[in-house]
Amino acid sequence: MSTSVTVTIDDRQIKARAGEKLLWVALENGIYIPHLCAIKEESRPNASCRLCFVEIEGVDRPVTSCTRPIEEGMVVKTRSLRVDRLVKTAFELILSDHNLKCRECPANRNCVLQAIAKERRIKLRYDRFKPIVREFALDDSPAEFAFDRSRCVLCGKCIRADREEAKIGAIGFARRGINRVVTTFKDLPLAESICTECMLCVDVCPVGALYYKKSQRQKKGNPLDYPGNKSSG
Amino acid sequence: MQLLKDEKEQILACVAEVLKSNSKNREDLIPILQKIQAIIGYLPELAMAKIAEGLHVPAADVYGLATFYNQFRLNPPGKHQVKVCLGTACYMVGGTIVLESFERRMEIREGETSPDRLYSLERVACVGCCTMAPVAVVDEVVEGKVTPTRVDGIMLALNEANNQNAEKQKPEQDGGKA
Amino acid sequence: MSATDPRKIYTKLLAESKEKAGSRQDKPQILIGTATCGIAAGALQVRDDFIREIKEKGLEADVIEVGCMGHCYAEPLAVIAKPGFPPICYGHLDEGLVHRLVEDFLVGDDPSYEYALAALERNDVFPIFEDFPRGAYEKKLILENCGFIDALNIDSYLALEGYNALVEALIQEPAWVLEEIKVANLRGRGGAGFPAGLKWEVCLKSGGDEIYVICNADEGDPGAFMDRSILESDPHLVIEGMILCAYAVGAKKGYLYIRAEYPRAVKHVQVAIDQAREKGLLGSSILGTTFSFDLEIFQGAGAFVCGEATALVNSMEGKIGLPESRPPRLAQQGFRGKPTVLNNVKTFAYVPLIMKRGADWFKGIGTPESPGTAVFSLVGKIVNTGLVEVPMGTTLRQLIYDVGGGLPNGREFKAVQIGGPSGGCLPEAELDVPIDFDSLHDAGAIMGSGGLVVMDQDDCMVAVARYFLDFTQHESCGKCTFCRLGTRHMLDILTDITKGKGDRDTLDLLEELAEDVRDGSLCNLGRTAPNPVLTTLKYFHDEYRAHIEEGRCPALSCRDLILYYIDPPRCSKLCNVCVGSCPTEAIFTREDGLKEIDQEKCVKCDNCRKACPPEYSAVVKLSPPVLPSDKERKAK
Repeated sequence: MSTSVTVTIDDRQIKARAGEKLLWVALENGIYIPHLCAIKEESRPNASCRLCFVEIEGVDRPVTSCTRPIEEGMVVKTRSLRVDRLVKTAFELILSDHNLKCRECPANRNCVLQAIAKERRIKLRYDRFKPIVREFALDDSPAEFAFDRSRCVLCGKCIRADREEAKIGAIGFARRGINRVVTTFKDLPLAESICTECMLCVDVCPVGALYYKKSQRQKKGNPLDYPGNKSSG
Repeated sequence: MQLLKDEKEQILACVAEVLKSNSKNREDLIPILQKIQAIIGYLPELAMAKIAEGLHVPAADVYGLATFYNQFRLNPPGKHQVKVCLGTACYMVGGTIVLESFERRMEIREGETSPDRLYSLERVACVGCCTMAPVAVVDEVVEGKVTPTRVDGIMLALNEANNQNAEKQKPEQDGGKA
Repeated sequence: MSATDPRKIYTKLLAESKEKAGSRQDKPQILIGTATCGIAAGALQVRDDFIREIKEKGLEADVIEVGCMGHCYAEPLAVIAKPGFPPICYGHLDEGLVHRLVEDFLVGDDPSYEYALAALERNDVFPIFEDFPRGAYEKKLILENCGFIDALNIDSYLALEGYNALVEALIQEPAWVLEEIKVANLRGRGGAGFPAGLKWEVCLKSGGDEIYVICNADEGDPGAFMDRSILESDPHLVIEGMILCAYAVGAKKGYLYIRAEYPRAVKHVQVAIDQAREKGLLGSSILGTTFSFDLEIFQGAGAFVCGEATALVNSMEGKIGLPESRPPRLAQQGFRGKPTVLNNVKTFAYVPLIMKRGADWFKGIGTPESPGTAVFSLVGKIVNTGLVEVPMGTTLRQLIYDVGGGLPNGREFKAVQIGGPSGGCLPEAELDVPIDFDSLHDAGAIMGSGGLVVMDQDDCMVAVARYFLDFTQHESCGKCTFCRLGTRHMLDILTDITKGKGDRDTLDLLEELAEDVRDGSLCNLGRTAPNPVLTTLKYFHDEYRAHIEEGRCPALSCRDLILYYIDPPRCSKLCNVCVGSCPTEAIFTREDGLKEIDQEKCVKCDNCRKACPPEYSAVVKLSPPVLPSDKERKAK
């Protein structure tokens, strides 16, 4: 039996299993912390989106809550000047590399970026940073879905679905730095790759990068849907 | 890129050979790719697919790895490879000018191979010969204190070597010991 | 612990090696510095010249290749050791000089002192390196043997009592090794300065029967080549250090992670591993004891980020070299998920010396918080380029002016860049900062892995910051938002500034973003990437402003803000050197005989300015890029 500890998040005392990551403890107790790449089941968090910063008393700088196991007596603030500044910059950086034509996007009104923007009151437009211009060809080769890389935020959830759930291995990360992409072997269109078009990846995509071509079909999972989330819907 | 039939066979034989001498662990992936490239000169798609099969890793992962690391090339290199060092010391004394001079003379950009496959041009982060800056590595030979004029000289020598159609006979950098 | 006394076997090995070394000393030896840099300067040709000349004269002499002596400014270098004379070092060798040395010194008995740099042993006739001003500051510990022993021959290392530290350790308990390293306060030389002993202890306590020792030789900092030199010149020192570490933490297997761009280092280390194994110094039952440890080389495939510990481990496991969030630390959960000690080449190199001479000896060198020495590769606008080793606590000013000989040709010091892409640029006012982990950090730079680049008035600080950001942006693994996108935007802003675009808000945004990338990135590479920007913004703010407010590059370096101009009063008319030097045929002769540059064709390669004879110096750079004629027109 695992021991439980008490932590204070935004002045609320919360009991949870020791060692549990702060992000999930907060979310499960209805306290929102922005996040894109976190997957609860992963033992080693990806920690790549850099949106889930919080302040912990006694720690000299904001830390990512997805990587931080809770400890007895931990006092956490999900908002502070420093946290808000980092989250805003990270979010704006992500936007600068994201196709912001929301009205044309199938995930419009069902997009994590929109939810975060609303919650943190950050405008969904290119502001401090100029958009990074590049050409991505739309991959609409699969029968029922398509992949628009101009909307991809590199959270890696589709790759996990492909590997851990579908057990295929059709997609993965390739290249480096600013050119990092989710792609197939040799950059083949999905339909020409070993992809079985099971569409598990489509359901986990938190934005409109992987989407169903027929607009009446909705993603199974609502990216904002987790216990206690009051801002969803 | 279309492969000729014998090229295909050569690649398959090479991969089979390299796979035989390794443990088929995922840990051997990078050493295997290095060996293949050392033999074939680049990583053909066919080789990557076969390696993925042999090691039981997704081909997408082999591709991801090959496109991540600087060392790996997915296309055949030119007959003559020029690497221009852009380490700090070289940059400070005109490394970019050297790179541009090669680009001008080879009529290709950095990272490309000329259409006739005679030349390929790369930039490298540092070859550790900072005291000879600016440095270019021409077919494994380190050239120090390179100027645009020296670039012309190097290109002239390479062109001449090509014209004589002589087989590659560069002095080996690591020649025998005394 | 020992099954048999390791001293027995070692005594035999030592005697053998000394005998071989002794037999060599009967005839002259010529040691040639053929590390990568020496070869680039023509050392292999010099080697062949010596061999040919010696053969022609029918002499008995050994030509031996050694590593880097550190005096790179005088490459190619050789040491001639002739019985009856002190060993003497000669620099700037070429075919003529080789001929002369063989003729006069080997055939005759005239050491040709006029061409000698220094002797290596104290004598009555010629000064040794320590007698020169720099000798007062230099202290060679881990570089001591570099360039003086045959890296490809283990006997060369053994004859100097190499591996003796290992023997001493094997007689004692492993705990003793750990204790000495802890007491010595050896701090990791990879850059951050984390105490090696603590790391080893965590690893030991994490326990298990599978523990790994990895040497990080993925030296990717542009402008740094210390690790390469040590591996090429004295590989056994590092190997012995790794074996000692393995003994202390109970590891059976170790790896040297060497970048593939260092083929010569790979080769030398492989030979060294094979020879050590053959002598029973590596492998199972080392020196007859129950302690077993073996080493293997892993060649890095070229990714700067793999210098980061977790990324390095990922790449060894056949994955993309992406850093992971920590904890867990590698010492708890590293390679194959097992406790792993990962230290830099230099860190391991100190270990045998500390074991041999004691922790107190080590602590007597350097500063209390940063004991020992620091190794730097001095490059850029400095007279004595090369490798130097000085005690921690030496000031930057001493290092640059006394050891490095200052700037060449009366050039004016502007900044020194320390620590590569993770480090910073410090101005004249900061030169009295002592070199140690903490002082450099406080000044905004870092010790880094030891690259030190001196810059003068011709080097633009904005361009330097842009250069490093271009590097980090290019080498970013792309995993986390701040590094992938933040460095890209910083680079874009800096590129704009070098073109004169921007305003005060631009500089504010650059600073804000740099701070956020520093605070928000996943790994240390991202967190330190803004250092070159933050330090130049802090110390050279005016230079940034000149670019955006006046469209002027004070260093006359940013090519969008300068033009090349041939000053008519200075042009000789009769000389055509500039015309011939131009790679794009941009220079033409006017009807009045003066040369002029076609600005449309000019690529600003600087060739004509270098070519123009110094007595004219007619080619000048102008910034802002306005021709005098246009300026006059505007004024009207």
